[in-house]
Amino acid sequence: MGSNDDGAGRESASPLVVMQGVSKRFPGVVANDDVTLDLRPGEVHALIGENGAGKSTLMRVLYGLYPPDGGKITVRGREVKIASPRDAIALGIGMVHQHFVLVDPFTVAENVTLGDEGGPILHAEDAEQRVKILADSYGFHIDPAAIVEDLSVGEEQRVEILKALYRGVDILILDEPTAVLTPAETNDLFENLRRLRADGKTIVFISHKLDEVLAIADRITVLRRGAVVGETSPAETTKAQLAEMMVGRPVLFRLDKPQVRAGDVVLRVDDLRGGRLHGLSLEVRAGEIVGVAGVEGNGQRELANAIMGLQPLDGGHILLGDRDLAGVSTEEIRDAGIAFVPEDRHEQGLVLDMTLWENAVIGRHDDDEFSGRGGVLFIKKIKELARRLIDEFDVRTRSIESTARTLSGGNQQKLILARELETDPRLLLAAQPTRGLDVGAIEFVWGQILQQKAEGRAVLLISAELDEIYALSDRIVTLYEGRITGEFSPDTPVEELGRAMLGGVVDRAS
Amino acid sequence: MAAVEAGTEARGARRPEWLENIGGQLLAVLTALGIAVLLGSIIIVAYSAGTGVGEDPITVYRAILNGSFGDKNGFGYVLANAGPLIFSALAVSVCFKGGMFNIGVEGQFIVGMATASFAALTFTFLPAPLLVLTVLLFGMLGGMAWAAVPAILKVKTGAHEVVTTIMMNGIATSLVAWVIGGPLRYEDTGGGFNVNLRTDPFPDAAMIPDLGHLFGIRSSARLSWVLLLALLTAAVMWFVLRRMRIGFEARAVGASPGSAQAGGISIGAVQIKLFLISGALAGLVGIQQLFADQGFLPAGYEAGIGFTGIAVAFLGQNSPVGIVFAALLWGVLARGETSLQLETDMPREFIIILQGLLIISVVVTYQLAKRRLFARQLRRAAAVEDLRDSEAPADAGPSEGSGDEGEVR
Repeated sequence: MGSNDDGAGRESASPLVVMQGVSKRFPGVVANDDVTLDLRPGEVHALIGENGAGKSTLMRVLYGLYPPDGGKITVRGREVKIASPRDAIALGIGMVHQHFVLVDPFTVAENVTLGDEGGPILHAEDAEQRVKILADSYGFHIDPAAIVEDLSVGEEQRVEILKALYRGVDILILDEPTAVLTPAETNDLFENLRRLRADGKTIVFISHKLDEVLAIADRITVLRRGAVVGETSPAETTKAQLAEMMVGRPVLFRLDKPQVRAGDVVLRVDDLRGGRLHGLSLEVRAGEIVGVAGVEGNGQRELANAIMGLQPLDGGHILLGDRDLAGVSTEEIRDAGIAFVPEDRHEQGLVLDMTLWENAVIGRHDDDEFSGRGGVLFIKKIKELARRLIDEFDVRTRSIESTARTLSGGNQQKLILARELETDPRLLLAAQPTRGLDVGAIEFVWGQILQQKAEGRAVLLISAELDEIYALSDRIVTLYEGRITGEFSPDTPVEELGRAMLGGVVDRAS
Repeated sequence: MAAVEAGTEARGARRPEWLENIGGQLLAVLTALGIAVLLGSIIIVAYSAGTGVGEDPITVYRAILNGSFGDKNGFGYVLANAGPLIFSALAVSVCFKGGMFNIGVEGQFIVGMATASFAALTFTFLPAPLLVLTVLLFGMLGGMAWAAVPAILKVKTGAHEVVTTIMMNGIATSLVAWVIGGPLRYEDTGGGFNVNLRTDPFPDAAMIPDLGHLFGIRSSARLSWVLLLALLTAAVMWFVLRRMRIGFEARAVGASPGSAQAGGISIGAVQIKLFLISGALAGLVGIQQLFADQGFLPAGYEAGIGFTGIAVAFLGQNSPVGIVFAALLWGVLARGETSLQLETDMPREFIIILQGLLIISVVVTYQLAKRRLFARQLRRAAAVEDLRDSEAPADAGPSEGSGDEGEVR
């Protein structure tokens, strides 16, 4: 597998793939408009743009998932028609999608060899051996005999990449590979990608995270509304320039924190226990944003769920003002004045198959304003609310009758924020509020969170993005194994914070 | 906002979404029917070729339709049978909306028959309309009681409702057999010899009046007011699911339990309520055969309607309106079984095959139609997204299209 016959040329070589004048139209929308792109052997080529800019569409055309409406594709100097992923793989083109397609109860080796088992009789050990050799040759740390459902997200991604490599591809398309990864996992991925590049593989890296693109890419192509707006390289550009190219206007990365004097304690979490929480305590005051930093899996999800009454507790108190909300129903917790932006907007935020107006009222549908004593919903009032929220938060949609599924991630998040903030909460609990969003949407969400603080509300921000924690927080606490291991001001150097995130509370040395 | 909508309108998306939904559904139904009829034709041709009976699809389908549309009475039978099917399918669909499978409609309806019979034989002193209402109420209570058991087991212990409801069906059959043979057994033999195992005859005041004679349909068709009650119930269920809190919560729980829960909806409470509503509906399934037809509860009552309801609910895609039409279609096919045997040499099993084909093709076409519709919506949403930069995010405020649905124009 390690050998490849075409990638030998390196930088100077003629392009491996040329997409020339490729267009892809869907009824009512042009997803790709006369796009020209070339991929060279042994490069990491970043394809960046906002959600809906046409990055994924373009790569799906190359991977044979969509037939192009115009233009031609040349691979290794020969013009080709790629009608299916099978064709693409035969041409040495593989793609790893954002959402993995793995068989959870199968082993790594079984997943990698699935569809290419080499005969009707399975030789589990042979397969494991082959996968091990393949993985080792690229420095992938993974046990071929491990069951996929026991793996972390980062490991699952490695399995997906191995699947493509096993089929001998030398052009690997990664669709937003870091969207699901922690910072540490991202570093591992980049390490792997560098190994692959050194081996002559071509990598297409679809992303909208500019720091990552600048760190890993050799060349960068920027798409906006289906068209290429420029090609550059990390040496020639800056983050601000890239953002401006993507969005079409200058973008602020550091927002001014409004100066608000912190008031009374609004939320006091005391010695919370249960699940992954082992005696967690923290406080948030009015007009203050407290950021919870930590490596994922240390109790972030449980902390949010516990505050919202979504998971059983073994002990501890959650005081909102004077009222203990531990063990109280979610409905009462919401009524008491906590607004919730969940980390997974599909699983905990929206009902994707319900309309926007229905989603706009979830959680408040039993307010007297929106339904009567007899249980009849006031549809007209609810639709008015939905229209107003959509207007105020600039949610882009065709109509309030559309299902939430049709919204882009950024617009889904806007709808959730609109719904949650409409209740005039005392505390905003925001978990990973910008996960998977593009630059424009992140700017919007950050602005809204700072606005809450300016209006004197308390905000508890749980985020895996240190950038976000630093940009928004007045105080930062670090979470490690279900406990708070330190409290810091936002001026603290990242390294110090990083140590606390890994449990090094008492580790003052070095 | 208004500008955005206008912009997309200009991009050729003129049809309002709700109309598109209805039009799409109609198209899907017709396509599904067409596919089922076509596949059925192949079977007819193959069967005639294989056995030499010499039937062709047109004759066979005509014979099937003749059973229902040959004369008024035939259609009267179809309408009379539609009532129980509608109740049964509605019962299935209510739970389904909340993401649960109530396989126990059968047991709930059987128990409902026993409790309704008990009411009819006990509260004999009540005048006609009151006794009928009491009978309906007891039928519903019986179904609810039977549905409460799996509901509580599910919420309290996590026992899966499919398993528990199937078990409850078995218990119901035996329980009602004992009731008919024991406490409610025929006593008033009138000096004659008690041959059949059944309950006493119900008082006339408990019987539901005939409706068919108003339309010149003979009374043996047993077309009664139960049909109207079923149609009314379907309308009520539409309202409950679309316009009431419990329906809203049910659909949220069914489509995304996590989001519903995070929104403060108690999943367990919703599930119990849905099961109780389902049980109440199931309790009405037996009313037609007891109080519009038999006049007593026989040991050999017509069973299986609770299971047929699952098929009808699927055929009607769990929507109250769809279920009404599905029940009629089902009735036409069932009725066609007789006329098919009278007029052709096709075996009656052909009807069962046709029913099966119909369900499969409906489920498949609906799935495909849904996918297509969703893809289209997504593309339009993407088009709206793309407009994001072409206009300043100036706050236009709710100026245009604020009054009524901007999309229904």
